[in-house]
Amino acid sequence: MATFHLQIVTPDRMAFDGRAEKIVVRTVNGDVCILPHHIDFAIPLAIGAARITDAEGKTRSAACNSGMLSVHADEVRLIAVTFEWDDDIDLERAKRAEAEAAEKLEALKRQNRDYTMAEAKLKRALTRIHVKEL
Amino acid sequence: MAGSSMKAIKLRIKSVESTMQITKAMQLVATSKLRRAKERMENSKPYAAISREALMAAISRCEEPQIPFVTQREVKSRCYVVIAGERGLAGGYNANIFKTMEAVTGDTPYCVLPLGRKAIDKYERMGVPLMSADHDHVEGLSVSACYQLANQLIEGYRAEKYDEVFLVHTTFLSMMSQEVKVEKLLPVEKPSGETPRNVATIYEPGPAEMLEMVMPNFLAGRLYSALCDSFASEVSARRNAMDSATKNAGEMIDSLRLKFNRARQGAITQEITEIVAGAEN
Repeated sequence: MATFHLQIVTPDRMAFDGRAEKIVVRTVNGDVCILPHHIDFAIPLAIGAARITDAEGKTRSAACNSGMLSVHADEVRLIAVTFEWDDDIDLERAKRAEAEAAEKLEALKRQNRDYTMAEAKLKRALTRIHVKEL
Repeated sequence: MAGSSMKAIKLRIKSVESTMQITKAMQLVATSKLRRAKERMENSKPYAAISREALMAAISRCEEPQIPFVTQREVKSRCYVVIAGERGLAGGYNANIFKTMEAVTGDTPYCVLPLGRKAIDKYERMGVPLMSADHDHVEGLSVSACYQLANQLIEGYRAEKYDEVFLVHTTFLSMMSQEVKVEKLLPVEKPSGETPRNVATIYEPGPAEMLEMVMPNFLAGRLYSALCDSFASEVSARRNAMDSATKNAGEMIDSLRLKFNRARQGAITQEITEIVAGAEN
């Protein structure tokens, strides 16, 4: 299969530099798949999983966080804030971070009861309007 | 007399010897740190270069008369990001940075974002407004710390606290030479003369919006690579300084030994002369 040159960089290292068949990344407009001979293209990235199929047809996943994707003359560059291959992800650490963040969000929600209530009110009003329009 | 000068020389030799031990140890520490620092510096280079290229391409595609982070506004005040060392004993490393700073800061009021203990101390003493005095440890500054710094810089720039941002750092040329560089971070200078390339590139949502989103990343990457570069320079400057200090100490000990031996011989000769003179009488 045709391949293109792919470079994946983060501030502290070059995570990948070689030929690839396909790359799927989460951008601010949703998932985008780049195949060889893609039109020149640039878009900011969101936080999400990336899947890269290398020249041997092997697919690897990675956690990719913000940055940008640029395609120019079959040179694809993924300029990410952080990029971790699945093998490098510390699951324990991620779970701890998840619990911490969830707890923080919960605390914030409790603080902002008014906000939650206003949000619910808005939802109810929107549903009523929507039903009337059906 | 002769005995007391001998004793004084012996004491000096001892004190120089212990100084030499310290400089030698510092040289060894710097040498072992240098390898890692150089590796980190090399690893941080691709991001800065590639993201800069992407940024320039996006800027060249912006058609708006007011491009975020590019359009120059009247300069009322400036901000300098100064990267210095955590400790001294690194030859002219810190002094060169401060000297360069003195040369570039004109009459325009400025504030400083100091990175490294020495920079914080220096500008605190001078009474220059500091953006933050929390980053005294250059070696340990992580990528995520650089993102915080970048966001802080952009926030201040947007709020028009300052109209230009400069980065003052040391770049590693070779083991023997390092050079202080002053680089304009904001507003970004438009690539001059170049005809806009890749005109067919599709920007989603648009080049200007993308600039807004990607600018903090670009700045953070630039800061990180400048930090790695500066740290490698600091360590190699320290290694060189300590290397020559150790050599000087060695030379000093040699010449002191020579003096000591002369004094010893002089004392013996004098004693013999005195004895002989006494026997002849």
